Amino acid sequence: MTEKNSQIQAGSSVGKNLIRVGAWERLAGQARFCADIKMEGMAHVVVVRSSKHHALIKSINLDKARNSRGCLGIFTSRDIPGKNRFGIINKDQFLLAEDKVRCKGDPIAIVVGETLSEAQKAAQLIQISYQELPSIFDPEEALRPQAVKIHEKGNLLGSRVIKKGNPDEAFSKSEIIIERYYETSHVEHAYLEPDAGAAMIDEDGILTIFASTQNPHYDLKDVCDLLNLDESKVRIIQSPTGGGFGSKLDLNVQGFVGLAAWLLKRPVKMVYSREESFLCTSKRHPLKIWYRSGATKDGRLLAADVKIIGDTGAYASYGLAVVTRAAVHASGPYEIPNIRIESIFAYTNNPMSGAMRGFGVPQIAFAHESQMDLIAESLKLNPIEIRLRNSLRVGSQTATGQQLDASVGIAKTIESIKPYYDEARNKGPVLRNHKRYGIGTASMFYGIGNTGVQNPSTAQIELEKDGSVILYSGAADIGQGSSTVLAQIAAQELNLDPSTIKLVIADTGRTTSAGATSASRQTYISGNAILDATKKLKDVLVTHAANKLKIPRQRLEIKNYSVVDRKNEQKGITFEQLATIMSRTGVPLKWQGFFDPDTTPLDSETGSGKPYGAYAYASHVAEVMVDTLTGEVEVLKVVAAHDVGRAINPENVRGQIYGGVVMGLGFALMEEFFPGKTESLKDYHIPTCADVPQIVPIIVEEFEPTGPFGAKGVGEPALIPTAPAIMNAIADALGVRIYKLPANLERVMAACVLSKES
Amino acid sequence: MPDQSQICSDLISISFVLNGKRINVSVDPSETALMALREDLCLTGTKEGCGIGECGACSIIVDGKVVNSCLTLAAQLDGREVMTVEGIASDAAGQCLQRAFAETGGVQCGFCTPGMLLSSYALLKQNPNPSREQIIEAISGNICRCTGYIQIIEAIEKASTDLLNSNSEEK
Repeated sequence: MTEKNSQIQAGSSVGKNLIRVGAWERLAGQARFCADIKMEGMAHVVVVRSSKHHALIKSINLDKARNSRGCLGIFTSRDIPGKNRFGIINKDQFLLAEDKVRCKGDPIAIVVGETLSEAQKAAQLIQISYQELPSIFDPEEALRPQAVKIHEKGNLLGSRVIKKGNPDEAFSKSEIIIERYYETSHVEHAYLEPDAGAAMIDEDGILTIFASTQNPHYDLKDVCDLLNLDESKVRIIQSPTGGGFGSKLDLNVQGFVGLAAWLLKRPVKMVYSREESFLCTSKRHPLKIWYRSGATKDGRLLAADVKIIGDTGAYASYGLAVVTRAAVHASGPYEIPNIRIESIFAYTNNPMSGAMRGFGVPQIAFAHESQMDLIAESLKLNPIEIRLRNSLRVGSQTATGQQLDASVGIAKTIESIKPYYDEARNKGPVLRNHKRYGIGTASMFYGIGNTGVQNPSTAQIELEKDGSVILYSGAADIGQGSSTVLAQIAAQELNLDPSTIKLVIADTGRTTSAGATSASRQTYISGNAILDATKKLKDVLVTHAANKLKIPRQRLEIKNYSVVDRKNEQKGITFEQLATIMSRTGVPLKWQGFFDPDTTPLDSETGSGKPYGAYAYASHVAEVMVDTLTGEVEVLKVVAAHDVGRAINPENVRGQIYGGVVMGLGFALMEEFFPGKTESLKDYHIPTCADVPQIVPIIVEEFEPTGPFGAKGVGEPALIPTAPAIMNAIADALGVRIYKLPANLERVMAACVLSKES
Repeated sequence: MPDQSQICSDLISISFVLNGKRINVSVDPSETALMALREDLCLTGTKEGCGIGECGACSIIVDGKVVNSCLTLAAQLDGREVMTVEGIASDAAGQCLQRAFAETGGVQCGFCTPGMLLSSYALLKQNPNPSREQIIEAISGNICRCTGYIQIIEAIEKASTDLLNSNSEEK
């Protein structure tokens, strides 16, 4: 951080709007993203990809390409020194296809050229002959017994069942039952920076890979396995990363540049075009959701019966995490005593679906929030009231039977948006004939961190001999601001100006694993790991100061890089002096922190267990204007209340909320990726600033006892309620509900026609 | 990148003012301005996000107007005055924008930032006191996937206010 940040008073860094780490270099055009890397003798890598959805590779002819001018090397699966398998959960991806391709865009060969155009020309000369196989694009079809097998083990990726209470009996007692079918579409992450990486072998013989990534320590493991190298021989350094939203959790370019640099002993670079990024990186899982809800006539939820079928495409990626997370969150943030949820995901020949901001929860929230409005409507209850009546509270049990002990802010978020909802309801704008105004609300809960599995973070903090402090964390900051927040957490504990802490971030050569930047987990989990390390260092500093100053520990405090006597601040000892004493007496200057949230695995039969250590909660209100002549939906205003535990950096939290709301707006109204058809930003539209409504972010701080200074997370929650709130607002405007996302012009027009008929 | 084997004889010399300095460079006739800036002149602050003029990450200012450098030929820069993000801090407007973007949270991943800065710089040069609608229009060709635009819009408003205040103080 630069001295420009020194507006922050030391010792009060939590809750302050510290300027984002890395902002100044980005504003000067000096941040070196992977595409900006230039190295002496650097060659260029391109990938030759499958043009078929599903086929056996009969032959690959490289002769012409090999002789092409400037071609330095062509590699296929046979050239991979290690195990040609990778994947974050299931090792079902091939760096380069062996005998078969499973989707368009599957990588078959890499070509390395002196220049990019030479690599591209050589790539065009590679001749591949295929024997086409039947292709499957629908997960239900993929699960039929006679379906062609996409993977040897079959087309079932995995399933998750959650059972609680006695749903059959509860439905028989229910005074109202609502049963509907919902669908969502493939969605593209569309981060601004297309995937990119570069690799070189450093002077010590270490293969060093610079990558646009969300998880360098995972990349390291898979690259080592692919290349048959020891972890000490490979180093992954996260370059400035231009957004990720989940897709840069997968190994996208790292394996290709690693293989090329290692085999050719030359520096290489690879940058995806936007088209390549669209073709072969993961998408949001499209889900089919059957949802049956039972309630009493006063609107108390008694039972939910949910079936989810998801399409994970050709490879698993984070599919198994989405199978489970969608199921765990299918209840919504409500107490439902009787539950039956079944979630099944299948392989198809569509592009791989993986992690995307919310891991299935945005999709399932569309269903459970539509259900809530449908129940409210048939009981003539206020949508806010029915949510409040059912919302989780301290002491409630979730669908998995987890008892919530603290920091259950759902009711507070609903109460925070209620005045806005009521005001909109009471006023309502003046309408033109063909325009219909509507208001909708939606709520969500979101478990922070991975679901029912260990997902620890580690970190170190080091006192340098000159008394300065270095923070080491493997947590990749992809634009969401984790580095800033982590520095603020350490600074708070050490009572320092956070901008003076030196940061070493996301470099496997210098940091230890913080786990993935996913699941809204870095503030909570890595924040705790850093706090753990910092507390140890602080303890050692204070102990040595007490010894040297002959003052009881209780009377000491840290101030401006010194440990001082609270009663007489003139009396103290500097960090620099303490560092000298510690080194002389053989006391470590670097301390390690660790945190893993308190979770238990989910039972395979009933799904019961404690999947998360903490939950974030949120509620949104959306106001829309629907043009019944064109089908256009204008979102006028979104009020977004988020329980984040504690906002370490409120401006950062607001930034996440604004960004999430706008991404949610795209999910609701315009974003639909058609496999094999959608090629680039020309036919896949994401919101521009002209689409942005007035957004009112409300930060609710329901202190989380297990969080660092009470913090939870907000990255994914920010997005989740927006789409269902908009869909509920459209239903309010038209009196007709849309059951498939996105509500594009066609679907809205169809609803308008129905609306006029009724 | 152009194929050197074919174009060596066809290179054309151009001369333009880049961030206040006159430069002479030989470019391939088919080369884009984006490529010339990034590859030939090593100014990598200008980003490629889509290559087809949809995202605005490659925005530069040519004779006071914002253009997509991915859709502009390098040869078209001949005789023009060009500004890239590397030149933005050269005057008060650019500095005010940089500071305001940093302070309001207008930068998240930072990949759209150079383009956003240039679009807003061109706006403030033409219209020092823009309305919110005018700001939205000015940056409507620049896509941001992270921020939801609000803090960027606020940053431009703040920069405009700061700039007007500093100008009136000087007078």
